[in-house]
Amino acid sequence: MNNIVIAILVLGIMGGVFGLILAIASKVFAVKTDERLPEIMEHLAGANCGGCGFAGCSDCAAHILDGSAPVNSCAPAGAENAAAIAKIMGVAMGDEEKHVAFVRCNGGTNAKKRFEYRGVHDCIGATKVAAGPLDCTYGCLGFGSCVEACKFDAMHIGPNGAALVDTEKCTNCMACAAACPRHLIDSVPYSAKVRVACSNKDKGKAAMSVCDAACIACGLCEKNCHFDAIHVVNGVAVIDYAKCKGCKICTKVCPRNAIFPIPTAEEKEKFKAAQKAAAEKKAQAAAAAAEAPKAAE
Amino acid sequence: MKLTDLFSIALGAILVNNFIFSQFLGCCPFLGVSKKLDTAVGMGIAVTFVMGLASAITWIVNEFILVKFDLLYMQTVVFILVIAALVQFIEMFLQKSMPALYTALGIYLPLITTNCAVLGVALLNIQNHYNFIESVIYGITGGLGFLLAIVLFAVVRERNVFADCPKCFEGFPIALITAGLMALSFMGFSGLQVW
Amino acid sequence: MNIGKQFKEGLVTNNPVLVQLIGMCSTMAITTSFFNGLGMGLSVLIILTLSNIIISAIRKIIPDKIRIAMFIVVIACFVTCVDLSLQAFVPALSKALGVFLPLIVVNCIILGRAEAFCYKNGVLASTFDGIFQGLGYTVVLMIMSIFRELFGSGTFGAGVINGTSGVRIIPEQFPAKILTLPVGGFLCLACLIAAMQWALAKSNKKKEESK
Repeated sequence: MNNIVIAILVLGIMGGVFGLILAIASKVFAVKTDERLPEIMEHLAGANCGGCGFAGCSDCAAHILDGSAPVNSCAPAGAENAAAIAKIMGVAMGDEEKHVAFVRCNGGTNAKKRFEYRGVHDCIGATKVAAGPLDCTYGCLGFGSCVEACKFDAMHIGPNGAALVDTEKCTNCMACAAACPRHLIDSVPYSAKVRVACSNKDKGKAAMSVCDAACIACGLCEKNCHFDAIHVVNGVAVIDYAKCKGCKICTKVCPRNAIFPIPTAEEKEKFKAAQKAAAEKKAQAAAAAAEAPKAAE
Repeated sequence: MKLTDLFSIALGAILVNNFIFSQFLGCCPFLGVSKKLDTAVGMGIAVTFVMGLASAITWIVNEFILVKFDLLYMQTVVFILVIAALVQFIEMFLQKSMPALYTALGIYLPLITTNCAVLGVALLNIQNHYNFIESVIYGITGGLGFLLAIVLFAVVRERNVFADCPKCFEGFPIALITAGLMALSFMGFSGLQVW
Repeated sequence: MNIGKQFKEGLVTNNPVLVQLIGMCSTMAITTSFFNGLGMGLSVLIILTLSNIIISAIRKIIPDKIRIAMFIVVIACFVTCVDLSLQAFVPALSKALGVFLPLIVVNCIILGRAEAFCYKNGVLASTFDGIFQGLGYTVVLMIMSIFRELFGSGTFGAGVINGTSGVRIIPEQFPAKILTLPVGGFLCLACLIAAMQWALAKSNKKKEESK
């Protein structure tokens, strides 16, 4: 009997002591958390994708709360949630146009292989083996590090072997951009109709010899653009989306089909014919203008 | 209790009788948290910390309460209560006084309460009749052995992801086979006849 | 509460070791001989069932914040009872199981079922859940221990049958001793889980095709 009483007493007293210590500790070590933190977290995407640049959603919420991150840090959450966060924080919100990721490369089967690569199926690993198995040192290797990084199932390897973004599912979190060892992935406006699909900075023969779809910096797009929206910068064409109207003339004059959307053969023929006709008309008008003063004399 | 005794306990806990590869204590977090290297390191350090503290406190409780009152049959219950309370206390303490450490290790602490390794080391200390210093050394070095095992395993597992593998072996089975091969290599240390 | 469904889940589709992937420490450590595995499996079954009953009976009155601690206390009580009983009645088994018997307290299976099932279901359902999940665990342990003992040391029933050396089935120079070592535990469990994943994938595929 004595034993049982002792056992009950010892256990009871121990339990009580521990409970007391924990209760006191919970008061002494109480950490005051701002109740806005869980509210903000509710409006974040919750995927812990790291696209905002912070270590997970709770970290992003903490930074938004203390003001070191803008209320629209979480791209996947979308504009509505950003507005809700702005309301919680009591700040006004700017107007944002939807952006999506874009892989600036259409290499894949168009690009020439330098050697047969049988290593780890990872772009970062492949880049380290003699600068990659492609002749083009700028292009997409197609091993899918970006596909792995994408938490929204928006990145896939396209039909020709280069990575391709599903613009409907893409939330512009840019986790893929962080994963790409060749820094091929950019953010473009969702509404952008024209996109340059090449990052090859070499010119002329050097670019031509490594890939059938490489930009050779010939400048035809720049010459033919009526809106001054596309320029050759550092050996590759770059579009200024503030000026681009989406007329797609550059896609049709590009001799290498390096600009998306790639025109079909008959579209190109039509365009060339139209250009020729316009050039002839211009020549006729110039000839007529040259004759007119002569006649006037 | 000579220094060589302590050294042999330490070496035994880290290499010869590694808690994971020899004694199978702590397998669940070992397999669960080892997908990435940084989480593995965090878990290993947290486990080392808790194992050392738990060894110390459970030894004291055993010596001055359970033995005194002849309540050795209550060991299991009392030890697990002590460990649960200890982990809760550490969590609260860390959250307040070392917030950086809390953000790094804090999420693993609730997992450690039900970790076989912590309760296991407490019971093994009593079983092996260690004194206080020996118990603490065994606890800390047991944790270091766990850290070594989980870090090595995480490094290999990160590479495993890119390798081709039969469909039905993907995930846990191939991880277990990896662990088995590592256990095989650790068997090589069993020849370390210390003192 | 569908007993047939719970039976199937406990044994096959939601098997604690092969599908839920919990409770692996004891699975690999204990299964070096058949009766060890059987003894451990039955101990876990008894403890699981009893603690399931009590926890689901008191689930309405446990405050939410301290529920894990309460689960652990209940489980620890039953573990101590079973431990002491084994020490008294089957000391050989108690010695063979060693530190893993008290470690049933922190066995993920028992705590996991308490949290996932008993906290939300009635006493009868929890009882059957405990029995069937424990049965699933015991079956896995038995398969592993038969395999490891047979091909590792070539005997059957070591520790109980025929004194302590068991019935020799494979002559002494043939068995692969490595199977009784920790390596063997890891490899055996890996193959069992792979086999289960293959079987489940196949049955899922059949279901998809028949749809």
